[in-house]
Amino acid sequence: MLRIKGGKVYDPAHGLNGVVQDICVADGKIVADVPPGCREIDAAGLFIFPGGVDIHTHVAGAALNFARAMTPENQRQATKFFHTAKRRTGIGGPTPTTFATGYLYAGMGYTTVFEAAVPVLSAKHTHEELSDTPILDKGCCVLMANNEILLDLLQQGDVERAKHVVAWLIWAAKAYGVKAVNPGGVAAWKWGGNASAMSEPVSGYSQVTPLKIVSSLARIIDELKIPHPLHLHCNNLGAPGNYTTTLETMKALEGNRAHMAHLQFHAYGGDDWHTMRSESQAIADYFNAHPNLTCDAGAVLFGNAVTITADGPWQHLLYQLTGRKWGNIDVENETGCGIVPYSYKGSNLVNAVQWAVGLELLLLIKDPWRIFLTTDHPNGACFWRYPEIIHMLMNAAFRRERVKKLPEKVLPRIVLPDLNREYSLYEIAIITSAGPARALGLKNKGQLGVGADADIAIYHENPDGEYMFRYPRYVLKGGEVVVEDGEIRHQMGGREFIVHPSYDPKIEDFLRPLFQQQYTMSFENYPVELERLEHPIIHPCE
Amino acid sequence: MGGKVSCTLGEIKNRADFIVYWGGNPAECHPRHFTRYTLTQKGKFTPNGRKDRTMWLVDIRETPSAKAADVFMQVRPGKDFEILTTLRALVKGQRVNEAAVADTGVSLQQLQEFADGMKKAKFGVFFFGMGLSMTRGKHMNSAAILTLATELNAFTKFVAMPMRGHGNVTGSDVVMRWTTGYPFGVNLCRGYPRFNPGEFSTIDLLVRRDVDAVLVAGADPGATMPQPAIDHLARIPTIVLDPKVTHTSKIAKVHFTTAATGVSAPGTVYRMDEIPLTLRPALKSPYPTDEEILKRINAAILKKSTWMPVDDQADALV
Repeated sequence: MLRIKGGKVYDPAHGLNGVVQDICVADGKIVADVPPGCREIDAAGLFIFPGGVDIHTHVAGAALNFARAMTPENQRQATKFFHTAKRRTGIGGPTPTTFATGYLYAGMGYTTVFEAAVPVLSAKHTHEELSDTPILDKGCCVLMANNEILLDLLQQGDVERAKHVVAWLIWAAKAYGVKAVNPGGVAAWKWGGNASAMSEPVSGYSQVTPLKIVSSLARIIDELKIPHPLHLHCNNLGAPGNYTTTLETMKALEGNRAHMAHLQFHAYGGDDWHTMRSESQAIADYFNAHPNLTCDAGAVLFGNAVTITADGPWQHLLYQLTGRKWGNIDVENETGCGIVPYSYKGSNLVNAVQWAVGLELLLLIKDPWRIFLTTDHPNGACFWRYPEIIHMLMNAAFRRERVKKLPEKVLPRIVLPDLNREYSLYEIAIITSAGPARALGLKNKGQLGVGADADIAIYHENPDGEYMFRYPRYVLKGGEVVVEDGEIRHQMGGREFIVHPSYDPKIEDFLRPLFQQQYTMSFENYPVELERLEHPIIHPCE
Repeated sequence: MGGKVSCTLGEIKNRADFIVYWGGNPAECHPRHFTRYTLTQKGKFTPNGRKDRTMWLVDIRETPSAKAADVFMQVRPGKDFEILTTLRALVKGQRVNEAAVADTGVSLQQLQEFADGMKKAKFGVFFFGMGLSMTRGKHMNSAAILTLATELNAFTKFVAMPMRGHGNVTGSDVVMRWTTGYPFGVNLCRGYPRFNPGEFSTIDLLVRRDVDAVLVAGADPGATMPQPAIDHLARIPTIVLDPKVTHTSKIAKVHFTTAATGVSAPGTVYRMDEIPLTLRPALKSPYPTDEEILKRINAAILKKSTWMPVDDQADALV
């Protein structure tokens, strides 16, 4: 039991904006009161936030592990984690090892993270890595929009059966949500193609278009009452002029919920790399008017990154552009995956536009409950650089200084210099914790009310937002002090959130013969066993 | 150059119409490969199975795998890198010195035919074995074939995959990566992982006599490593975990007889395409599993006082 005394509490879920009050903790939960005499943390003058929630990151699984193998040069330069009595060994950098991932997230006050892209076929591997990621609570989204069994059903117009297949696949992967990546494009990539026109049939199909995949999946997810809406990576990621694709996609989603992942990568105008410009205003205008949507920023920061995505065709293009390493893993019947190390440079016109667009979206989208802080780690930047973005959001003068360092040619292509909005601490608490928790449907996360999980980050006041949010005074996970002044104090395992949507058990009779024909493992070996998960929590679909 | 363009084995089953085995003998070393994944399976887009596919075999001698191939290309030992580099040039339509090619044991005409076949394929794949990756040129050979596959994607769909074997070597590689950031050859002596194949890989450590104890699990280095490495294994305390007597267990100081994983012990094995499979034991064993033994050794070690720096200051603050 613990009392955190006299801190300024930022709990947007309850409208608390810097209110001085005690927070009491017992048995891992926040409670109304604890008896006198129990441990106290004197938080007078400190700022109390709900633990951070990352709605979109890549921290575990076959793709990330492939990236680790591909980039030993990054590991060599990265921060080392020494083995001590309280800590396991590890390496930071763009693709941190699992233990380091837990320490780095907890070290900046984050306590819940969601791995964004998991094929069912290798989901066992993803869960093994998540189990080896200490301190954090976790969940993952399973990849669906290029699953050939589903696309074949959409071709036949059998949406009802597709719904049962989706539910079955979610449970087979032990996932929490559904991710769609470049709908139809990755399936076409299996023959070296792509899908860039939203209403033209996907190669190999006559009745299936990217728009049809998107709208069908969003509807299915809503009908299955999955707590997190369809998590969508649109077509034409990264391509100049792609904002029209994004608008078209968002229009097709009207009437359903959807989460637009790393929106920054989908808000470009122009016709080619030489004319690329920001279209964040057009995207934000549409987004502001449509409350069925949430998004995460997918912001870019200058420096080294590793691009890892299920978007195979885009990665082939990026490899051709950079001439650097290229990794690709196509996953039978389900999805693809590409890996290309990348450096974002301030002197590069395209990179400068990308940098600006991420910040612009965060500033132009008015409702902080609908846009969340991410960098699509490690695609746009590493997650441990979030505090740099927070500082830029909170300080318009600092932002203007940074804009001055960009090449002059970029200024007419971006709107960032005209934006004067500054985030308050209250709004930072929303985009880093309360908002993503709500979008994920996690009622006990992202808030400090009685009954919530006692995941709490406590910060010193500092005018430099980057410093403030990089070095929390204390971080509590499940009521235990896990980080104190930058030191790991205690490492416990985390839990995993999953959902179990209902489906007709007879769907297995439909899947089994297809499976024998199209897969290379037996049907019974395909689903992830529940025992493989570390402390699974089955979230209701209601 | 760098990276790897690959896929899971089901993609080969469903799509591959051009299959190349290079420096390997799957008929004897991976006997189920042809029938389960590559040649005879009827996949979604290969409904006629073997008839829909063309297979090339590249090796220095005619092995039993040659019977399965449509074309067997015999190359002169140690010339794989030159041939692969020539193929990269031919694929891109670059000029090639015919006299230099003659030295490889293959004619330019045959290489041109090979290159044309690859480019015409709808979905091609290279499987490469230790006859390529562990002979003259070593990792440069692997890099050359991976690069050839990468570059072919400018024309058609092409992938490459090493023919890994030896028990769960892929699984070890996968777990090492997520725990240490590196696949093998990892040194933890400084309290954090360092990676340098050639310095920290097992054979090098043994030959240099850098290590004074060895624990062997799921491998038989006594059968495959160079003699100076085996000599050192015999010299120092070597502990072997194995269900049966092996070359290594015969020279070891301690041999724990273990339950056989997959037969009488559960576990997870990673396929060569890094897809994990659950192993369900069919039998019971009186012997402990590898995992049980390692956990008990670890528990015993934890009881001893630690040699590493303890966060004294940190403790004082709590």
